[in-house]
Amino acid sequence: MKLRMTALIVAAMFAAPLAAQHTVPVIAVPPLATPEDKETSAGSTLSLAWQATQLIASDLQSAADVMALSPDQKDFYSYPEVTAPTHSRWRAKGAKALLTGFVQARPDGRLAVGCYVYDVEKGRELGRTGFVVPAGEWRRAAHKCSGLAYQSLTGAPGIFDTRIAYVAKTGLGTAQVARVAVMDGDGLNHDYVTTGDTLVLTPRLSPNGERLAFVSFTGGKPNVRVMDLASNDQRPLVPGDAISFSPRYSPDGSRILFSMTQAGNTDIYVVNATGGFPQRLTSAPGIDTSASFSPDGSRILFESDRSGFQQLYIMNANGSDQRRITFGGGWYAAPEWSPDGERVAFVRRGSDGLRVGVMKVDGSDLQILTSGPRDEGPSWAVSSRELLFQRGEGFGRSSIYRVGVNGGQPRKVTVPQDAGDPDWSGARD
Amino acid sequence: MRRLMIMVAVIAGMAPSASFAQLRVPTIVQRVIPATRGRPQQPVVVGIDALRADFRLRAGSDTVYFGGDSGLLSAPTRATLAAQAQWLMRHSEMVVQIEGHADPADTRDHALAVGARRAEAVRQFLILLGVPAGQLTTVSYGKERAAGAANSRAVTVLVR
Repeated sequence: MKLRMTALIVAAMFAAPLAAQHTVPVIAVPPLATPEDKETSAGSTLSLAWQATQLIASDLQSAADVMALSPDQKDFYSYPEVTAPTHSRWRAKGAKALLTGFVQARPDGRLAVGCYVYDVEKGRELGRTGFVVPAGEWRRAAHKCSGLAYQSLTGAPGIFDTRIAYVAKTGLGTAQVARVAVMDGDGLNHDYVTTGDTLVLTPRLSPNGERLAFVSFTGGKPNVRVMDLASNDQRPLVPGDAISFSPRYSPDGSRILFSMTQAGNTDIYVVNATGGFPQRLTSAPGIDTSASFSPDGSRILFESDRSGFQQLYIMNANGSDQRRITFGGGWYAAPEWSPDGERVAFVRRGSDGLRVGVMKVDGSDLQILTSGPRDEGPSWAVSSRELLFQRGEGFGRSSIYRVGVNGGQPRKVTVPQDAGDPDWSGARD
Repeated sequence: MRRLMIMVAVIAGMAPSASFAQLRVPTIVQRVIPATRGRPQQPVVVGIDALRADFRLRAGSDTVYFGGDSGLLSAPTRATLAAQAQWLMRHSEMVVQIEGHADPADTRDHALAVGARRAEAVRQFLILLGVPAGQLTTVSYGKERAAGAANSRAVTVLVR
């Protein structure tokens, strides 16, 4: 069920981000305007404009590095003021930035939604975006407006129009049922996409969130399967009955890295996402796994215990020039390259258990972000500012948490049951 | 002391083909169709559960343990596997699945690979002792079927 969003204004010429300074930028989010209050299949445009405004503010309030003023219905402005705001009015409220916009009913029953972001200190526009969407899909247009505001203020892509996949777990021990669940980045549209009759692990979304690679025990052995989320059709990634696991899409979604075990030795392979013959990338004795592409697809981070213990390595996309990058105390596992290319998230395995951390791709500037002792499976937000990870809570139970990479305490992500193996997609098309 | 040494020599001489001496040579278990009336004949071993119980009894254990993340077979592990091999060679109709498991403190992907490494080490050793490869299949459960802290193990499970 791919959403069809027609870009009205592809524009978005981003000026330098407002938050080069270290203070958190404040943005005013007054109610979106509507040129004429008309009924649609999803409600009146006036009501939708107010709901969209609240969603945008709520999105921005969930981010640690911007501050959104709570919307107030008294702060309405006229439709012409959408593109010609009175900057001093918002400066007086303490805002550095302003988001305006409109919701308009079209004769064909669809909605036109437009958003504009302004620097009210300098009195200039920072960006604009707009869409024509079916009335029932106004939420995605609002999330795109949130993303525009976030990117205008921070320079990083917004995380609001994304999807999250994870393993939903009910029951304990041998009675535990594990299903792959998928939801929007804000927790809505939660759906189970596998039936729970076989154990499943490590769902990984394609960058646009439309497809899924995951490990299933279908047939009795762990093996990678791929699924189209619109149709729920699934198939094995590669033929044969070898043990395979640890899938991850390339940033353009065209290829999938995975690990396969033959004669007890685990190596990294890459295969076209549509199928075909896999290419082997590593051959060292030992376990090579958890491979992750650089954002430009030219290099791969992975873990290997070829030195005796798990450490992180880097190689070219064709498997050449394999070099170790971690040398500190402890063992390092499960690397994921950040979407901005700057950092790697990892799990450190040591006497204090499993903890999630980040470092630069050359191994420098290492920071441990979580307290453990059972934190693993980090997955980057498309903003490269936050991670999702799994926290084991003992007795076989676990939850997923969200943590900022620039400090702050992890926050639990609310889902209907126990959860593990989170994965966060890129921005949807 | 001298008597013990002689005993060991005798036992080693009795089983020259096996690398590891066993103190009890398992007897062949007959598979007997159960009588519908009267007292059952002895020994009665029927059904997969009874065969599994017999396997565990004769081999000492269906489970062997490992250290660290390794697939290295310790001396006690080799002795248990030698007894498993004896049983499997006497039950050439049986197929087993060797389940490899890893430490719950391992990370998820690596644990799957460690379980596979262990299952394969057990499989190779059983083949070395003479068990036909066609009787042996392997799987890894990584750390997904944790049985307490001592989860670094491989379990030989009779499947049919």
